[in-house]
Amino acid sequence: MAFNVLVVDDSAVMRQMVVRTLKMSGLPLGTVLEAGNGEEGLYVLQDQWVDLLLLDINMPVMNGEEMLRRIRASPELEKLPVIVVSTEGSETRLAALHELGAAIVRKPFAPETLRDTIIRITGVSDAEYYGAVAVAVADDGGDF
Amino acid sequence: MPSTMELSLSLSQTTAATFEKLALLFPEQELSPEQEAAPLDVTVSVDFRGPFTGRLVLSSSASILPEIASNMLGEAGSRQPPLQRDALGELANVICGNLLPAIAGAEAVFHLSAPRVHDAGESQSRDDDAPSGHVQFGVEAGRVSTTLYVFGAIPAHAHATVA
Repeated sequence: MAFNVLVVDDSAVMRQMVVRTLKMSGLPLGTVLEAGNGEEGLYVLQDQWVDLLLLDINMPVMNGEEMLRRIRASPELEKLPVIVVSTEGSETRLAALHELGAAIVRKPFAPETLRDTIIRITGVSDAEYYGAVAVAVADDGGDF
Repeated sequence: MPSTMELSLSLSQTTAATFEKLALLFPEQELSPEQEAAPLDVTVSVDFRGPFTGRLVLSSSASILPEIASNMLGEAGSRQPPLQRDALGELANVICGNLLPAIAGAEAVFHLSAPRVHDAGESQSRDDDAPSGHVQFGVEAGRVSTTLYVFGAIPAHAHATVA
């Protein structure tokens, strides 16, 4: 299974970093889509099938929290797996996002943190994530 | 209000952690003569407002920007000066986003502006505000400095115990 991923962040640098991390992580990627704010992100979701949303919080026009509320209010999108990737440090705000069903990855993040969160929130198995051959080799018990 | 020394310590920890995780570079607190002499050519800042307002300023030697951009964005990013400056801006954004909860506590909500690149010679502070915290690191053959300006006082109810 290849994942179509939407990355919503007002920073082009951070979008590029997230996409680069996704490519390095071994996730079977389909189409990677990008948007610069929540409103643009909602337009993308109207037109494209997306399996996973990576979402920043502090953005102009429409912030990530508002975008997430609209997604959860939509019958077509309410179950979309969402990972909030943000510098947001307020427990109050993070708790609100968690209640909306989002997983949280704080910036700065290690690539494996993002990878592990994707595995957890999408329910993808190790075999799907890394490929059956890679998992078989890893389970071989061989010495390094 | 936390002392300048407490704020600088928190600034130091946040800056070092952000450079290590995001730019894969390890800031050194003891600067070599070469690092000490390296100019701070490029400056970016992030303004914030919440329980208190202010600005975080990050300056860097131009010589280390290609490595920062390369580590954050890949080889293609390392050759484009605008992307190099944007990468530095993103570092400032992350430093600021992690610093403020360390100062104000986990319940405080702040709003951060988009990072801004300062022109050469442009003032980094508002009027003549004195820095509330400052730290400098050696990085590769250059150096970086991070400065926190708080506009006005930090209210007594708006700061946590600074680590």
